[in-house]
Amino acid sequence: MTSIRRSLLVWLLSSVLAGGIGAAGVVFVQARIEVNDIFDYQLRQLALTLRDRTYFPNDFADSLTGEESLDVVIQVWAADGTLLYVSPANMVVPNAVQLGFGQVVASGGRWRTYATQQRGLTIQVAQPLAVRNRLAFTAAWRTLLPFVVALPLMGLLIWRLVGRELKPIETAAQAVARRSPQSLDAIETANVPVEIEPLVTALNGLLGRLSGALEHERQFIADAAHELRTPLTALRLQLQLAERARNDDERARSHAALREGIARAVRLVEQLLALARQDPDVPAEARAVDLAVAAHSAVDGHAASAEAHGLSLGVEAPAEPVVVNGDAASLRTLLDNLIDNAIRYTPSGRVDVRVLREDGRAILEVEDTGPGIAPSDRGRAFDRFYRAEGAPQGGSGLGLAIVRRIADKHGGSAELLDSRSGHGLRVRVSLPLAA
Amino acid sequence: MRLLLVEDDAMIGAAAQEGLRREGHAVDWVTDGARAQAALANGVYDAMLLDLGLPKRDGLSVLRDVRGKGSDLPVIVITARDAVADRIAGLDAGADDYLVKPFDLDELAARLRAVARRRAGRAAAVLHVGDLELDTAARRARWKGREVALSAREFALVETLAERPGAYFSRAQLEDRLYGWGEEVGSNAVEVHIHALRRKLDPSVIRTVRGLGYSLAGE
Repeated sequence: MTSIRRSLLVWLLSSVLAGGIGAAGVVFVQARIEVNDIFDYQLRQLALTLRDRTYFPNDFADSLTGEESLDVVIQVWAADGTLLYVSPANMVVPNAVQLGFGQVVASGGRWRTYATQQRGLTIQVAQPLAVRNRLAFTAAWRTLLPFVVALPLMGLLIWRLVGRELKPIETAAQAVARRSPQSLDAIETANVPVEIEPLVTALNGLLGRLSGALEHERQFIADAAHELRTPLTALRLQLQLAERARNDDERARSHAALREGIARAVRLVEQLLALARQDPDVPAEARAVDLAVAAHSAVDGHAASAEAHGLSLGVEAPAEPVVVNGDAASLRTLLDNLIDNAIRYTPSGRVDVRVLREDGRAILEVEDTGPGIAPSDRGRAFDRFYRAEGAPQGGSGLGLAIVRRIADKHGGSAELLDSRSGHGLRVRVSLPLAA
Repeated sequence: MRLLLVEDDAMIGAAAQEGLRREGHAVDWVTDGARAQAALANGVYDAMLLDLGLPKRDGLSVLRDVRGKGSDLPVIVITARDAVADRIAGLDAGADDYLVKPFDLDELAARLRAVARRRAGRAAAVLHVGDLELDTAARRARWKGREVALSAREFALVETLAERPGAYFSRAQLEDRLYGWGEEVGSNAVEVHIHALRRKLDPSVIRTVRGLGYSLAGE
């Protein structure tokens, strides 16, 4: 895992160290140039001084005493090449042959030489180059030293400072860690630095949506659990009656009731699942669906049921397609629920399904000749588990809730109106037409 | 016992009514709070089974009304809500007991017997009157230690009489206790059951006084 603190430390210290080394390098090169100049000058001065002193060859050896303390090797050759003098005594540096400045390689490394001639004598003064390098290196090291000494201190300081500046991130992280599905409150943004504020704000947005979704789920499960108790109670009682039937007639009646109870429980579960599947947070799939075709198909599917209830079921749609963007299965569920409700609540008469275009919208209407819903109750009728007073048994109370949710997901709306005939209910769903 | 069942769900109502009838109770069933109120105003009940989620009038308000009128009618509240707060609200409004859906027929019957016993001021499920012993939980009768097979109606009849030994019950009162609304009552149904009881137990066990009615002989 990457650590901002660690990489900041590494990169900052490396930069400081690289800067120090660079500076030391520059110092080294400059020092070398200066040391060379000075030492060359010294060498030349020494050689020239020796030349002047050796004006009288006989006592030149004496005249050279006192120069041994210098870090140089002095050699004097006769014109025939015999070495007349060397100091220090055991050091011999080869004759550079050339006059003036030169370099030779001998024991102890490279030497810088300066040679001059005077009346047949060759005087060579040599100095090891290592001396110069050492001096330049010392100068460079002195430049680098403060950096090296300061490095651990800077490291400590950087570690502390970065740690302190990153504290708000840690605090925010702890605040996130404290959140649980039970407490999804927003994280305090007052003390959050601007750099991580967008992150915290985005997190808060997510927490808010999550909290809403969870609350929705919780409510749904609580409602569902409550609603499931009713059919389960009926089933339990009906089963006990069937078990205790004292004769065939009672048993047959109990079994019939039990079958009805199971059908009701199954329908409730199916409707609960249909509602749960229509997650309000997931937008509907967008495929072109012809409402007219969907309406024909749904009416066809309910023809037998309508006939069994003695109702006349019909569909009315324009010849050209009425296309909306949406999920065909969901829209079919919407149609099924509307037609099913109409058949269920209408004791006699007719159920009409109508598809039309109006003001650039696709309109779907299902109209019945049933008892209708009082205007004062129409708002609540879309609530989950709402059942109209005197509603026939077996309804789940979910049909209109499912219809509304599907309409919402498709960017549409659903409303309850009086039937055109004045007696009955007209459910009107308005959906945006496909472009 | 004559019971008032207030339950808006048709399947639960029908099954509970049928089950309680087979236990020997007379059960009147209404489906909303307003009708429950009307039934309570007219009828004499030994206990009420009250569903809380009712159309027209909420069960709790029916219950408060009953207690407000000073009635000590045993009431068992039936609720689909199992939250503690809901149960407390039911008990505080004057319920004697509560049942959470989905409940069991046997549990319902047992709780009914328990509230009836409490109302009669006794804790045991077994009633003793002279040589007669009635186990109201198992619905079995013994006469002088010997088990006697009684039908559900016969048991309900002798149980009613045994609750107040020596007291007289008119034929109409007994019919009320034995039959709910809409149940066919033969013109001499009570006499038939009394006759059967005398035959199965002892002719002297039930006294008849013209004009007063029937009474279970005490000690």
